Amino acid sequence: MADPDAGRDARTRRAAGRGSLAVMLLPALMAVVGLFGGGLFLGILQGLGHLPGAGLSRLSATHFSRVWSDPDFLTSFGLTLYIAAVSTLVAAVISVVAALALSRLVNRYRAVHFVFQVPLTVPHLVIAVAVLFMISPAGLLARVAAAAGLIQAPADFPLLVNDRWSIGIILTYVWKEIPFITLMLLAVLQNAGRELLDVGRTLKADAWQRFRHIVLPTIFPALGAASLIVFAYTFGAFEVPYLLGRTYPMTLPVWAYKHYSDIDLLARPEGIATGILIAGMVAAAVVTAQALTRAARKKGIVL
Amino acid sequence: MRALGTRLLAPAILVAVGLPFATLGVWSLAERWFFPDLWPQAWGLRAWRYVFATAGGQVAAALVQSVAVATATSLVSVVVALPAARALGLYDFRGKDTISVLLTLPVIVPPLSVAMGLHLWFIRLGLAETFVGVVAVHLTFCLPYAVFVLWGVFSNYNPDFESQARSLGASQLRVWRQVMLPMVMPGLIVAGLFAFLLSWSQYLSTLIIGGGRLTTLPVLLFALMGSGDRPVAAAVSIVFVLPAFVALLFSARHLGGQSLAGVR
Amino acid sequence: MGALSLKNLTIHYGRQPVVADFDLDIRDGEMVSLLGPSGAGKTTILKVVAGLLAPTRGAILIDGQAVTDLPPEKRDAVMIFQKPLLFPFMNVQQNIAFGLKMRGDSGDRRARAVAHILALTRLDGLGRRKVHELSGGQQQRVALARALVLEPAILLMDEPLSNLDANLRQEMRELILGIQSELGITTLFVTHDQAEALMMSQRVALLLEGRLRQVGSPRELYHRPADPDVARFFGGDNFIQGRMRDGVFETDFGPFPVEAVSGNGHRRTATIRPEDIQLVTDTGDQPDHLPGTVKRTRFEGMATRAWVSCPSGELVVLTPRSGLSAGQAVQLRLPPEKIRIFPD
Repeated sequence: MADPDAGRDARTRRAAGRGSLAVMLLPALMAVVGLFGGGLFLGILQGLGHLPGAGLSRLSATHFSRVWSDPDFLTSFGLTLYIAAVSTLVAAVISVVAALALSRLVNRYRAVHFVFQVPLTVPHLVIAVAVLFMISPAGLLARVAAAAGLIQAPADFPLLVNDRWSIGIILTYVWKEIPFITLMLLAVLQNAGRELLDVGRTLKADAWQRFRHIVLPTIFPALGAASLIVFAYTFGAFEVPYLLGRTYPMTLPVWAYKHYSDIDLLARPEGIATGILIAGMVAAAVVTAQALTRAARKKGIVL
Repeated sequence: MRALGTRLLAPAILVAVGLPFATLGVWSLAERWFFPDLWPQAWGLRAWRYVFATAGGQVAAALVQSVAVATATSLVSVVVALPAARALGLYDFRGKDTISVLLTLPVIVPPLSVAMGLHLWFIRLGLAETFVGVVAVHLTFCLPYAVFVLWGVFSNYNPDFESQARSLGASQLRVWRQVMLPMVMPGLIVAGLFAFLLSWSQYLSTLIIGGGRLTTLPVLLFALMGSGDRPVAAAVSIVFVLPAFVALLFSARHLGGQSLAGVR
Repeated sequence: MGALSLKNLTIHYGRQPVVADFDLDIRDGEMVSLLGPSGAGKTTILKVVAGLLAPTRGAILIDGQAVTDLPPEKRDAVMIFQKPLLFPFMNVQQNIAFGLKMRGDSGDRRARAVAHILALTRLDGLGRRKVHELSGGQQQRVALARALVLEPAILLMDEPLSNLDANLRQEMRELILGIQSELGITTLFVTHDQAEALMMSQRVALLLEGRLRQVGSPRELYHRPADPDVARFFGGDNFIQGRMRDGVFETDFGPFPVEAVSGNGHRRTATIRPEDIQLVTDTGDQPDHLPGTVKRTRFEGMATRAWVSCPSGELVVLTPRSGLSAGQAVQLRLPPEKIRIFPD
């Protein structure tokens, strides 16, 4: 009846030969460093104006500064940030509620659980198409509104796709990401949640206190990680805003690809530079979020 | 109150999840469906005939292409990820945190940034517009995902089972094949499904590296959306989600309902 | 103050009855063990007292006030679980202060109370540790401190020592006993370990298959079991059938004079503990000695257990004598005052 953790530590710490560890890790690391690292590195080089065969002597930040100083860049950045932040926030909030409700739904859990997994497997593109069919001016919702006598013609229907507030894009992301976040939370809640909640109850925590001081800290790491992944994805994704977004302003990834695929080959390095900037911003967002969490923990704030 | 809420929750989830598919299904069977009718004026199989007959060759080719790319990506991911995940899950060593960050980045950084950077290099290597090139770019994010899934599997894996088998006289190779593999198999399948689905839904990186030559289903679907033929787009969308459903059913049946939590 | 009264508790899991008609009164400051094999319903009763489960029938009273319908957070009872169940996202201090914080105590008061309880549970200097840095024993002490700091009227402990190794368990028992007597907290202590129940508590309540079989002092349960099941639970292996006749209990092992037990002419079952049987090897024929043959022996450290076959049946004997071997002829004496005759 030893402490279960003790065995675990002994297991993790068991040393394998350096050589065999290297053999196990090397193929994966080489693939990631070579393909991913290489891609980013070459992207940076090209963004700095390097052309194959031209040597490295003429690197300059011209393309980056051109992108940076383009007034549309800031607008695009704002739009992208808005979509990613709102989608992540809405999905996260609904997911917390859904996970709590589902964790109580033990008896019918399996069926609900299965249905909940369906959106995980569906490509974003398909949902974007379905959302378009549902909320476009001639879509399902507009027809329901017409049947209810609220509108006469498609033009009367508020614009929900290719619209100013990116409703269609956000709706697509929220639909797709709620199950992702919820199931991550549910896994945590099922494992540790119930017993700790019982402890909380006998230690005199009321319902709100149990949520604030036990549930939230328990799910926070999973919620944070899932939200960061969702934020990063929605910030850097192309398909959904391309399909459901306005032609101006466009999100950064759409902007980047437009430049990249421009007939004017001179625009291409700017597209690549934009892509690198997107990567940098996403990485910066993740690093900042983690640093903030760590700082909060250090101050003793229980998250 | 709570009882009512709980009773409404399951149907609410069912409707929310099912509505998009119902919409696509009805659209794919609509011959004529003008505003403001709630129901198509005429039903028909025109879109499906188009998908299977008129453009049958094109759709079939895209389907094969998608399956091939996703399968290859998934297999390579799992095979390469397995030993790495074992090392990360079972042992402590210096540099583990660095490796963790290194693997996190591709999960977070959007594929388009990487694909744009790789494109020129791939052209010079002769990998652009090739199957291998597209698989390679998909690997940049599918492989780290597979490593993370299997890392989780191995951190819950007890290698004492292997020691036990060794002490009972099994060779190292047999231990791997007959002890480790069966024990991590559910995780291996989930990791493979992850990689498959990630690759399956990929559009932009396929387009950039494949250069339009390698027409996978999403590439075809995008082209069709441009044409504005809604019933056909709906039908192709349905073809596009079917493998995902099969994957889900498969996982539900063979993994004892083990969740796909973490799939994106 | 904290007298606990459980009245007629019946508890179902779904349709399955788990506990039936359970009555128990615990005096203020008393430590009572709820003893029973696993699956007997001990933890279920504890959870019902804590408020985590609702009884099908019956009432729970703390100091005469019914708390049966109060949620756990409104009851003046704190439960300590089998696993420490420390909040992994808090350090030791934060874990201990949890209940005080929920209650709305000021930071100052919390700090003082935590410091005091850290000393009491011998955790000084560990306040800022993360919980996963603690040993199993330390973790369980933090769980204890986290409950004690609330100074509850009733302390409920659900086998808190069962995950610790033997030495640590002994140390923890001493600690719990010391603190309990110092603070005088009314305590209901669940355990499946009979030795633990005997040494830890002023009274023991034995639960078998959801029913309370006997309540009493450790000595009472050990020496005067209420029925054969209770005797068997405490390691009584010897059962003797007989008939009461004029102040004598007549059995195959001989007649035993007894104090007036009612029921003249009735069949009764009696038991005698293995260590109460006297075993002699020299063969001077004494009238009250039973001849027998050793079938097998087992060395148990402080004593040897011997299975002795007598003409009238087999008896298990626990004797400090060493050097017994199978096949050896011995004589047994069953002291009449050690014979426990069960009431009908």
